[in-house]
Amino acid sequence: MNASRTNPFSTRFTRPGRIAPLDGGGEEVDAAALLVRLAAVGGAAAIIGPHGSGKTTLLGHLADAIEATGVTVMRVRSRGRWGATNVLFALVRAGRAATVCVDSWECLGPVARNTLPIVARMLGCGLLVTMHLQSRLPVLARCRTTAALLERICMTLPGHDAWYGTVITPDDVEAAFARHRGDIRESLYELYDTFELRSRTVEMRRS
Amino acid sequence: MSDAQDRPVVSPRIDVQFDRPQRRYQAGDRVVVRYTIDECQGDRIHAVEQSMLWYTEGKGEEDLGVHMFRRVADPAMMPPRAAVGDFFAHLPRSPLSYEGLIVKVRWCVRVRVFFEGARDYVSEHVFEVGDVPPARVVHMRST
Repeated sequence: MNASRTNPFSTRFTRPGRIAPLDGGGEEVDAAALLVRLAAVGGAAAIIGPHGSGKTTLLGHLADAIEATGVTVMRVRSRGRWGATNVLFALVRAGRAATVCVDSWECLGPVARNTLPIVARMLGCGLLVTMHLQSRLPVLARCRTTAALLERICMTLPGHDAWYGTVITPDDVEAAFARHRGDIRESLYELYDTFELRSRTVEMRRS
Repeated sequence: MSDAQDRPVVSPRIDVQFDRPQRRYQAGDRVVVRYTIDECQGDRIHAVEQSMLWYTEGKGEEDLGVHMFRRVADPAMMPPRAAVGDFFAHLPRSPLSYEGLIVKVRWCVRVRVFFEGARDYVSEHVFEVGDVPPARVVHMRST
């Protein structure tokens, strides 16, 4: 791969699933401990946090960890007009002892948010969701972000030895984090643009 | 614990050679690729997947199109220490490689090796199709 032309902040390197979930301090999340906690609260819980705080990343990671134990996992995005119906179908199809993972739970209406956990309990199905604010579901994890976390993410991106500290500096990371008020996704988008403009400017000067 | 479990996992080395060392092609051209898989630590190769595809790279949704795919699982073609193979494909008219600011289109060859025991390894090698000039940064002057 031509590494000099690859933007390390591209979606293919930063999308949920590519980076291991990290806590606010930049340390790797203990998925096994969270699964124990999920079982302790009855198999239904929520991951909460603001936009771009890593909820979807953590949900995907936990879904993989649950799947690795042999449990059937169904993943649903609840956006769109058929969101509640999709979740209901997933619960019915998944059945007993399975787990349904729902991203963007707050996109469902209040009736669905109140009813679907009851349906899940009746079917004996686990339910793990992401949302911005606390609801009736017990909280499994609260995602929070720090500039140190964003810096740690940068250090996991491809070829960071070649560009971190030169094309993208720690000051850029801190500024992006502050400008987007802790939204990691938006900060990474900004760093993508910064990387693209600076690396091209350098190339243009060379030519 | 067995020797196999004690042994650290080392990625195999996959060398890919294109028929054009510059890796520059035009739409409709034939791309010939030869690859060598080495340093498998004696692990037996179960199958090799050869593919030629394009994908978008940028900061939004991603897209991908597989132009050619072949799975080789013939035991006679899988020596334990090294595997050599080749494949070719004729390129379509589009998409052409493009180096944009918010989106890039890349063509690549992927060789994916499956070892017995469920371990697999993917190697990706980019090449260029067409002569679309890269996007340039334009600095707008405010009036």
